[in-house]
Amino acid sequence: MGNYILEMTGIVKEFPGVKALDNAQLFLRPGTVHALMGENGAGKSTLMKCLFGIYKKDAGSIKVNGEEVEYEDPKQALDHGVSMVHQELNQVRQTRVADNIWLGRFPVKNGFIVDEHKMISETQKIFDDLAINVDPKEKVANLSVSQAQMVEIAKAVSYNAKIVVMDEPTSSLTEKEVEHLFRIINHLKEQGVGIIYISHKMEEILKISDDVTIMRDGKWIATERAEDLTTDKIIKLMVGRDLTNRFPPKTNQPGETILSVENLSTKFLPKVDNASFELKKGEILGIAGLMGSRRTELVETIFGIRTREGGSITLNGKEVQNKSAIDSINNGFALLTEERRQTGIFAGLSIRFNSIIANIKSYANQVGALNEGKMKTDTKWVIDSMRVKTPGEGTKIGSLSGGNQQKVILGRWLLTDPEILMLDEPTRGIDVGAKYEIYQLIIDLANKGKGVIVISSEMPELLGISDRILVMSNGKVAGIVNTAQTNQEEILALAAKYI
Amino acid sequence: MKMKMKKLLAAMLACAMLASFAACSSSEDKPAADNKPAETTEKTEDKKEETKKDDTTAAELPAIGVTIYKYDDNFMTYTRKAMENAAKDVAVLNLNDSQNDQTKQLEQIDVLINQGVKALIINLVDPSNAPVVAEKAKAANIPVVFVNKEYPEGTDKIDYDKCVYVGTTSEESGIIQGQLILDAWNANKETWDKNGDGKLQYVMLMGEVGHPDAEARTKYSIQTLNDNGVETQELANQSATWDTAKAKDLMDTWLVKFPTEIEAVICNNDGMAMGAIESLKGAGYFADGKYMPVFGVDALPEALDLIEAGEMAGTVLNDPLNQGKACVELAANYAAGKDPLEGTSWKLDETKAVRVPYQAITIDNLDVAREAYGN
Amino acid sequence: MDKASKKKLTDFLLNYGIYIVFFLMIVAIIITDPKFVSLNTFTTILTQSSTRCILALGVAGLIVLAGTDLSVGRMVGLGGVLAASLLQAPDFARRIYPNLPSSWGFIALVILGVVLLLALASTVSGVMVATLHMHPFIATLGMQLILYGVCSTYYNQIGGSPIGSLNENFKNIAQGKLIDLGANGSISYLLIYAIIAIGIMWFIWNKTRLGKNMFAVGGNSEAAEVSGVNVTKTIIMVFMMAGICYGFASVLELGRTGSATNNLGVNYELDAISACVVGGVSFNGGVGSIGGVVLGVLLLQVINYGLAFINVDPYLQYIVRGLIILVAVSIDMRKYVKKK
Repeated sequence: MGNYILEMTGIVKEFPGVKALDNAQLFLRPGTVHALMGENGAGKSTLMKCLFGIYKKDAGSIKVNGEEVEYEDPKQALDHGVSMVHQELNQVRQTRVADNIWLGRFPVKNGFIVDEHKMISETQKIFDDLAINVDPKEKVANLSVSQAQMVEIAKAVSYNAKIVVMDEPTSSLTEKEVEHLFRIINHLKEQGVGIIYISHKMEEILKISDDVTIMRDGKWIATERAEDLTTDKIIKLMVGRDLTNRFPPKTNQPGETILSVENLSTKFLPKVDNASFELKKGEILGIAGLMGSRRTELVETIFGIRTREGGSITLNGKEVQNKSAIDSINNGFALLTEERRQTGIFAGLSIRFNSIIANIKSYANQVGALNEGKMKTDTKWVIDSMRVKTPGEGTKIGSLSGGNQQKVILGRWLLTDPEILMLDEPTRGIDVGAKYEIYQLIIDLANKGKGVIVISSEMPELLGISDRILVMSNGKVAGIVNTAQTNQEEILALAAKYI
Repeated sequence: MKMKMKKLLAAMLACAMLASFAACSSSEDKPAADNKPAETTEKTEDKKEETKKDDTTAAELPAIGVTIYKYDDNFMTYTRKAMENAAKDVAVLNLNDSQNDQTKQLEQIDVLINQGVKALIINLVDPSNAPVVAEKAKAANIPVVFVNKEYPEGTDKIDYDKCVYVGTTSEESGIIQGQLILDAWNANKETWDKNGDGKLQYVMLMGEVGHPDAEARTKYSIQTLNDNGVETQELANQSATWDTAKAKDLMDTWLVKFPTEIEAVICNNDGMAMGAIESLKGAGYFADGKYMPVFGVDALPEALDLIEAGEMAGTVLNDPLNQGKACVELAANYAAGKDPLEGTSWKLDETKAVRVPYQAITIDNLDVAREAYGN
Repeated sequence: MDKASKKKLTDFLLNYGIYIVFFLMIVAIIITDPKFVSLNTFTTILTQSSTRCILALGVAGLIVLAGTDLSVGRMVGLGGVLAASLLQAPDFARRIYPNLPSSWGFIALVILGVVLLLALASTVSGVMVATLHMHPFIATLGMQLILYGVCSTYYNQIGGSPIGSLNENFKNIAQGKLIDLGANGSISYLLIYAIIAIGIMWFIWNKTRLGKNMFAVGGNSEAAEVSGVNVTKTIIMVFMMAGICYGFASVLELGRTGSATNNLGVNYELDAISACVVGGVSFNGGVGSIGGVVLGVLLLQVINYGLAFINVDPYLQYIVRGLIILVAVSIDMRKYVKKK
């Protein structure tokens, strides 16, 4: 096949009950960006973990520079010129940036004394080269998410690896930082580094990559030159069918005002400052904003998990206090949290548990015992109406794909029969096919007269499903625009209003 | 691959643990075997006793169930050993460590009863639990000898005819210690009364607060002194929970606070006395004519050595040898269906208790104590 | 008072709350008995803190790994009993092993042996934690029971009574005085050992890869793993380091008390762990400093000593110690649980 820096062929990896990789393959040319695409659960990360020595492949061959390799652990991979930006931010938050950069390869002098000075100065040099403005002595815990992500990228680059894997590197970067990343990537390309780039963001892929490999269900589907591809073609290959439209038709009709929030402010940092807006029955209100614009904080304050300093929340003409999550749930609010893994799912527990947990009160009889039958019926309802793909209600939610997890959690909140649904990044890390289904569910909810708030960092998503868009900027409401009469430029301008 | 690694590691782990065991047991066995013929024979006898349960002799000797409130109590260890010695050719003892847990002890008693022991020797964890134990034994018609921890109401108040108590009274240890201090004080008043005020300024190292022995010893030692006309002044009184290291820390503290004032150190047990003496030595006592009288209770061999070396003024022998002997004798009689006192020199008092007397031990009668411990 | 300075004050109170509590308690002790303030008090507290400090330094590493060690006390017990039985005075009539030598070389050999044995025992716990992913609480709980059983069996075999009359040379190692200040106490050898231990541990924690890796594994073991840190090895090494600390502390504690029973060291882990917690070593892992540990040991010992000095009721002392731990931990939690 010629000049490849990495050849992965016939890779098989089985987990108990699942064939995660089935004859997967990938050929990476030096000095190119190779996008690896596929729905969640298609096996992209698994394939990379096999390369990086986190998983052991069951069969197949991995050749680096034509030489068969099998790395026992990440250290060997790093030693042999393969580095990786991991999907989850893998950082030791309580230590300094420089400690994180040099973790696993601390420079030593006199045999065993860690060379502090060298560590700091080399880190500074790496950051200077990449034009990253972060103090090497700062604690990672004090960095913003996007800064932390840039540090991760810098770390992967600093190994001077021949192959750099980037698994969702832009998930928490602003557009400006994404451009910065692309400059870094182009620089690496010039040095002949091969980059494997995993992302869900179609626009990014088409912009940066040279080759695209598409996977589905653990199998290799296609590898094409990026210039020969279009978004629609990629989606078609990923989902295995035509998606005529990325968004379902908008059928919901906003009615009268159901929720009004006035002059809402928070007591502790990060602060929400004097936010006011209204939400109508059957309306989908999008919330846009850059990283750190405190969109999440706004909905968390409404939901009562952040302490309010002032302002009022009025539901159906009556003021509600929402002092705590329990209070808010009782008042008819629901919040689907941003970090699904950390604050959404109980990964080790069943779909049933995950479905009924927010509504547990309604299953208890007089003596406090839970009504098994009702729980079963409701779980079945969640699985059916949310179209959750699962072997059964007893399956651990952690073993489902991201999209299916999200559907269960959406179902969980619907069981509490809320009037106001606040969805924080409902489609993050979810594959295209599942996204469509989530959009449909959101629109269905609005059709039923619920008020829906959707926070999203993906502009096309907000433009595609919302009726109005509220733009946050630095903790303040920068403006509320009608979706039909706005565009990305206007929203970005608003997002930068108070910075 | 991973599985293999795990198995290998598990095996390594097991080896490491075995090795550490072996390291301990070899270091204990070899020198003992080489150098201590006396103990070697004792040891083989011990082993015989253990194997007895299986062979024919076991059938002929009655089984007696024993529970000790906790094995790491020094005094009870001696009592237990005395029992084991006394039981040779008389009975098979089934020993249990109740680990200072009354619930555990009751479970152990249930097991013993189910095993069909002929008599029980019970060293209660919680003395007020005696009727509960008696009731269990009564239901199975097994006689009980309580030892060392006495039912506060009196053993005669327990509704079971086949139960007796062997032990001492907590007060007595205090009284004897008081008398010991009294005699010593009267004999050495000239030098001990440092400030010449005629009063005894002392510090008290208490055992566990709330422990009946600790409370009684603390109270009656001083009361005996006062009743006999010695005025006392308590400089400090703290609990070192019977522990040597804690006693040393406390004594360190007091030596800073009362560099010259302390005229005597009174301890609820010898373990704490040893800690106090260690601390005093550090401050230069027991050399160059600097002296401090320290009193304990228990007459541990270590304490006897200290008395012999002139570093401890006296202790009180709580006679483990005779207590252990008495319980086994009484229990064996019971097991044989005889009157518990038959053929023994023990007498029951009005509360159905056999009182093994305490004895004051000083440098003049160390032999008495050494004999009691079988040295 | 305006809002900002009010907030600053609250932050200050919360961040330094535990030290303020200590300060107030020390003031209260001094008011109750002004004699507390003396050079002798100072030197005595330093000496009493020494072995505790070495133990705390050992367990601190395990807490940084987000673990703990329940076997500290029983490690000390086993080491103490073993060393005591081997290091009795040569002229003592009832020596357990009458023919053992009593030379300096033999003393050194015994100390080394005890250190090795405890390091091995602790390493076994470490291997279980690192390779079987056992929770350190469970692994060390099991180890604690085994050690106590081994120690008690041995203790019982060799007579079951306190083992004293130790070799004077050995005792001098622990009880010796570098500078005798007469009525003002003394600067003890123990203090010197503690200072050496503090120095070595500080160096390991801050200047070596092992130390850095320890913080990384404790802070985020997954991140450490994908960065090429050998997590298994790091955990085992930290456990081994702890075992070495316990080994030295156990012989020093034996030398200090002058005798050993199988109950020596009981509950020392609680003192050591509380000292770490008071000193700001977080149970969440990845956070802590040697300075903090040393401060924690000293403060706790000042309080222990002070409460005994002013003759506070023993029951009350338990309450005070419990409160100190709760205050320390609640402040620690407050630092890491973000207020919303």
